[in-house]
Amino acid sequence: MRLLVFAVLSAALMVVDARFSVLQPVRSQLGLVVEPVYWLGRLPLTLWESATEELSSRSDLAAENEKLKAERLMMQRRLQKLAALTEQNVRLRELLNSSALVDDDVLATELIGIDPNPFTHRILIDKGAKDGVLLGQPVLDARGLMGQVVEVMPYSSRVLLLTDTTHSIPVQVNRNGLRAIASGTGNPERLELRHVADTADIKEGDLLVSSGLGQRFPSGYPVATVTEVIHDSGQPFAIVRATPTANLNRSRYMLLVFTDPRTPEQRATESAEAQEAADRQAQEPPAPPAAAQGAAGAGPARVPADQQEPDR
Amino acid sequence: MIALRARNVWVIWLSFALALLLSVASMPQFMEVGRPLWLALFLTYWVLALPHRVGMTTAWGIGLLADVLNGSLLGQNALILTLVTFLVLSLHQRLRMFPMWQQSMVLLVVFGLAQLVQLWLNALTGSRPPTLAFVLPALVSALLWPWICTILRGLHQRLSVN
Repeated sequence: MRLLVFAVLSAALMVVDARFSVLQPVRSQLGLVVEPVYWLGRLPLTLWESATEELSSRSDLAAENEKLKAERLMMQRRLQKLAALTEQNVRLRELLNSSALVDDDVLATELIGIDPNPFTHRILIDKGAKDGVLLGQPVLDARGLMGQVVEVMPYSSRVLLLTDTTHSIPVQVNRNGLRAIASGTGNPERLELRHVADTADIKEGDLLVSSGLGQRFPSGYPVATVTEVIHDSGQPFAIVRATPTANLNRSRYMLLVFTDPRTPEQRATESAEAQEAADRQAQEPPAPPAAAQGAAGAGPARVPADQQEPDR
Repeated sequence: MIALRARNVWVIWLSFALALLLSVASMPQFMEVGRPLWLALFLTYWVLALPHRVGMTTAWGIGLLADVLNGSLLGQNALILTLVTFLVLSLHQRLRMFPMWQQSMVLLVVFGLAQLVQLWLNALTGSRPPTLAFVLPALVSALLWPWICTILRGLHQRLSVN
């Protein structure tokens, strides 16, 4: 009798939790306990790691330092080029009057826990609603996209990784722009492209970048590299397998991306308006230099959120 | 039932807190598949030892906490732990008479059933690959049972928890 009552109660809770969002606030408040528990659960590992770090020998540190210096030099060389390229890109886009390339804002975050269920690929990060994390926000590491936020708690959030079996992401082949959908397989080293025609131009080593078509992920971030393309005449579609570029099961530090919520059209209109205003100001003889500089120099002309709210 | 005066009940709650902690503690990747069902193990001991103190209500509450920690649907672990408690309670008279290895065998079946329900619920809410790996935690838990039982019994008797 008791069992029946509890079973019905659990079933009702599950249905409500899965189908409606009534329980969301309750959940996120209960989530307050999550972070300390995971922190405690991870404590032995953290202590062990810090101990090995403390005790690592001087030569190891020197070698690591050397390696980091070399890496830094390489990065700086690339950065020099990047600055010029970015400027060129912005200028060309201005010429085309198209939506500007906006640099996304990012927030660094640290891994605090891994989902105890080995069949799901979810992780816990140390930033939550108090830091402005939003549901569905994309998460990156240094090499590529990792996943998206699926549950926000006050001081922590849960991230669903790309390789979870319930996750799919719209991608593009970087070489030729071919669109596809990459689905997780439950294997942390593999994604599969669904419904790719046998004749599609895709081959081993192709880089897949996010296409931004799902309105969830920003476009242009690396997602995976194609490792295998199998043409089986018995199958309606080609079997395409790819390896995520991000270190899904190794990264400790990640970035949360804040994308511009405006649509490309809005962005284009706003940048055009800003451009017009700047032109008008430039024609007037006693133009205050600071204002003109600000409007023209910004290029993308990011209008503060409070200014664009009223007309929606 | 005769009303017994509660003594040292905090031990029970502390052990449940420990079990919750163990159920999310980080483990090496290869051992993750066989993570013991700590909550079910601890719950089974207390239900067998003090059926008037720990029952299905406790199991349900702890299950909800586990749901929040794991980020699963609210009620999923609650349902499973309630089921385990129900099975243990209904077998409780016989189970207490059994030698340790026989208890382990019975618990293997009970935990296996619980894992099966878990698999079904997971399959309902998302497409999880149906593998036989889901019995592994049940097996590991059954093998751990004699040790857990001995440790908790020592604690139980030394502190005369009632």
